[in-house]
Amino acid sequence: MSASVLVPSVVSPIVVSLFIPAVFTGLIVGLIGLMAIAYQKNDLSALILTDIVGIGMLILVAAVGTDLAEALILPGLVVELAEILAISEILLSREMRKTGKTAELIPLPVSLDMEVMTTAPAFMAIILIAYGAFLTGFTGGAVAGGGILFYVLSQRVRGVPSDMWEGVAGVSGIAWCLWLVGFLLFFVFPQYWLLALFLAAFGVFIKVAFKAGLIGVMGREEFNKKE
Amino acid sequence: MDIIILGQQLLGYIPLGDIVLYMAPLNLFMFAGALAFTTLIAISRTETQVEAGFGTLKDKEVKVGKEEFKIRRFLAIVCGLATAGAMITGDLFNFTLFVCLIGIVNIGIVAAVKQVDVLDAAFQYGLVAMIATLPLFGGAAMILASTGTISLLEILNIPTTAMMIFGSLLLLLGVAGETGVAPFYATKAEMFRTPGSPFLLIIHLSSLLVIVRLIEILLIINKPF
Repeated sequence: MSASVLVPSVVSPIVVSLFIPAVFTGLIVGLIGLMAIAYQKNDLSALILTDIVGIGMLILVAAVGTDLAEALILPGLVVELAEILAISEILLSREMRKTGKTAELIPLPVSLDMEVMTTAPAFMAIILIAYGAFLTGFTGGAVAGGGILFYVLSQRVRGVPSDMWEGVAGVSGIAWCLWLVGFLLFFVFPQYWLLALFLAAFGVFIKVAFKAGLIGVMGREEFNKKE
Repeated sequence: MDIIILGQQLLGYIPLGDIVLYMAPLNLFMFAGALAFTTLIAISRTETQVEAGFGTLKDKEVKVGKEEFKIRRFLAIVCGLATAGAMITGDLFNFTLFVCLIGIVNIGIVAAVKQVDVLDAAFQYGLVAMIATLPLFGGAAMILASTGTISLLEILNIPTTAMMIFGSLLLLLGVAGETGVAPFYATKAEMFRTPGSPFLLIIHLSSLLVIVRLIEILLIINKPF
């Protein structure tokens, strides 16, 4: 295999040998998606099924398994999301033309009467936030933010007013300052790099977590507009 | 410069960190062509179509509203700039991203029209474009895996392997789907039946130029000579 020439010797051979199976997995996922599209009954199903093909694309890019591949997954994902948004917009506007009715882009307030919202919100939120704290950094922030968002959504379903958003926004701002201070420390006092690293990591963790939570503020504003 | 790409002398390159744009006569010509056409589009107005009525003498004018005109002009300019970017980039993955952007913007240009048939065609084209991202990015990733780089100037010096040929075939499939050429042209032809001609022409021009650039890239990767 000529590709193995380029792989540094520190990489274990098991990791290198995973490349070909991963490529085949991606192609097979794509084929399964295409077959499903061939069998589909309506346009909406076709749109949702093309997403599976897109996931096959992400597997192919991820199969490379280097830092560069990690950096390339993000634009791939963004492109895929943009395309699915554009196509669904076309589908919406076509259906609106056909029926003559118009509809909101995101109809709020959404009705979320799922069982998981009433039985296990606190448990799920704690697990997500704890796991996010363990991860730290941007990824951890996103996970923890998902936990907070989930908790607040479930609170709203129960009918408890959610009025803690201003405080959350304030903490998010302070966390951002922590992140900036950590970043500055890298340049001013490089010998305290460990402190700077942790400041930056936890700052961005808290900031991203609460940023995801802030979606609730916008949601509430929409909610009030409706009343 | 002593690097020669496909018989043309390299005039120079612009290293923007990791992203290296290279300037060869063919690329510069296509880049300038895309930019000139984009400028023409930015200052032009839309045509008005006349639909003949069957069985009567009443012809119907199909006009483009002001809001729709503005959005469409903006998207057409974005499409032109993306095409120009795809012409001059020296990075395989940037090329695929530019091609994807062209695909998305093509859908957007016809997204706001009133004809249901055109919307239908745009939806079908969108599905094909989205499916085509699998071979497009997959091919680029495979070339990255087998050469260790996505810079075309580096790939030029690496002898071709079977993996690279497979990757470039996937790349060809992906670009064909994304720009809607040969096997997928039916839906794209249907998309042109809407009024607003100069903006729709950029859809044509972008796919033409992208195909020419793709041939150059395939020649660089596979080195048949």
